[in-house]
Amino acid sequence: MKAVPAASTVEVDGEYRLKREGTSLQWNIADESALEAALRLKDGDGIVTVLTMGPAKLEAALKELLARGADRAVLITDRRMAGADTRATAAALKAAAEKTGPFDLILCGRRAIDGETGQVPGELAAALDILCVSNVERLEKTETGMRLFRRTENGVQELEAAGPLVVSMCEYAYHLRLPGILSMRRAKSKTVEILTADDLELKTGECGLKGSLTKVITMEAKYPGLRKGPKETDLSKATEQIQAMLREVRP
Amino acid sequence: MKEILVLCPHGVDGGLLSKAYALSEGNLRVLVLEGEEQTAEGYGAKYIHTIKTTPPDEAAFAGWLAEKIQSWGSTIVLAPATIAMRNIMPMLAWKLNAGLTADCTALDMAGEDLLQTRPAFGNSLMASIRSLSTIQMATVRPGTFRPVEQKANEPEIIPESGPAETGKVRELSFTEFAGGKPLSQADVIIAGGMGVGSKEGFEKLAKLASHLGAGLAASRSAVDAGYAPFRCQVGVTGVTVCPRLYIAVGISGAVQHLAGMSGSEKVIAINSDPKAPIFGYADYGYVGDWETIIDRLLHLEEETL
Repeated sequence: MKAVPAASTVEVDGEYRLKREGTSLQWNIADESALEAALRLKDGDGIVTVLTMGPAKLEAALKELLARGADRAVLITDRRMAGADTRATAAALKAAAEKTGPFDLILCGRRAIDGETGQVPGELAAALDILCVSNVERLEKTETGMRLFRRTENGVQELEAAGPLVVSMCEYAYHLRLPGILSMRRAKSKTVEILTADDLELKTGECGLKGSLTKVITMEAKYPGLRKGPKETDLSKATEQIQAMLREVRP
Repeated sequence: MKEILVLCPHGVDGGLLSKAYALSEGNLRVLVLEGEEQTAEGYGAKYIHTIKTTPPDEAAFAGWLAEKIQSWGSTIVLAPATIAMRNIMPMLAWKLNAGLTADCTALDMAGEDLLQTRPAFGNSLMASIRSLSTIQMATVRPGTFRPVEQKANEPEIIPESGPAETGKVRELSFTEFAGGKPLSQADVIIAGGMGVGSKEGFEKLAKLASHLGAGLAASRSAVDAGYAPFRCQVGVTGVTVCPRLYIAVGISGAVQHLAGMSGSEKVIAINSDPKAPIFGYADYGYVGDWETIIDRLLHLEEETL
């Protein structure tokens, strides 16, 4: 799961630059979907581990996920991991998954609302050499594996997959449950497990900015361009003009 | 100029092929489905590899592609940012030890380097990215580049056996969405917001959209209200679109929505509130009752049938 700046706090300054200081963090929406899917899949004896990478302050937020029903919470936190691209992130998650596993299934969100790359699930699957099914909106256990409903551009694909796999979930596929009294009580006695690069036996060159294979050269604020077109209140004219514009683009 | 490889195993993306043709100065290699050789030829491809089908086991597909790409010696690999390719490319990038940039909206060459530009956090930040690996990879947002046809290049057509069926992933069924074209490919999009007021209102928009061959979209609040399904949602948590014409009906214009549609070529806003922020981001604003305008357009469409 990834903690992202809360979308509702995105603000711009006078020059349409995004203000990012002091923004509060929230769990990425699609990742919440993934956690809820995991909680529903687990049998009485199953174990759901929540794994995240980020600043040390996420410990409290992870505690809350324990209260919502997760059995274990693991935080990868290390200054050397800052600035990781999707590859370096996948490398860290792979090492952590192997250290905290074994596991039958890895669930994650299909993309985060800040970076929006959606690449970590696939890179993680390849790193672990297991299957990956993306953009899933519903899943259930079958006798031989998993049945998955994957949303594509033009329809829903029903797939069956056998063997360990990574599944990336769509936003709002499942709504994450609220903390329950029982799980809140259980969560109190649990601690968040912390993993550093050393714990994961990752060398400095494999972490963060240094372990990345892409490099951001420039970053420019680009607030949706103001167009400020003319406003018309005569609705007959509106219809005529819209029709004319439709004619321009329709083949 | 360096050769560029474009992977289009789920359908040719003419715009992307045209861009790759220009960047590689005609040194273009493509992978397409059997039967699309001529389409690829029309965009100037020099080497056309074909496969019969795309397997549902995308991990195995990525493994097969990795081997092929090494044998072809390609060092720049592009693909349209479709749902399937956005799953396959990361697996491929890992196997090829390559950096990968997602969902680019601009590409340039700087000597041997591919400069990849992509929006982040909605569309509010544009990042320019370079790969540090020998193989440079990127997915490109569909509809970003204009298709430009080229004179035939007398390409070499090479049929490939494709990856072996692993049986680990099987497709049991496919249910197509009603309402035609996916939003990311629509030339015209009609989008509704809370101002549309009801599911019935959306049905009217859907009717007009189907007459026009347009896509139907919605703001997050309209989806949350149950007026339209989630797959119609445009914005930060939905899809990003860049049609030639975007008609925003009863949408106030939250930043998160603007992020998903600000790349549209032309934007029309219809809203009864003259102070709605959406008007600032529209090329043409119409202040008044949306239903009057939509009814008239529907009427005119039905007359011409």
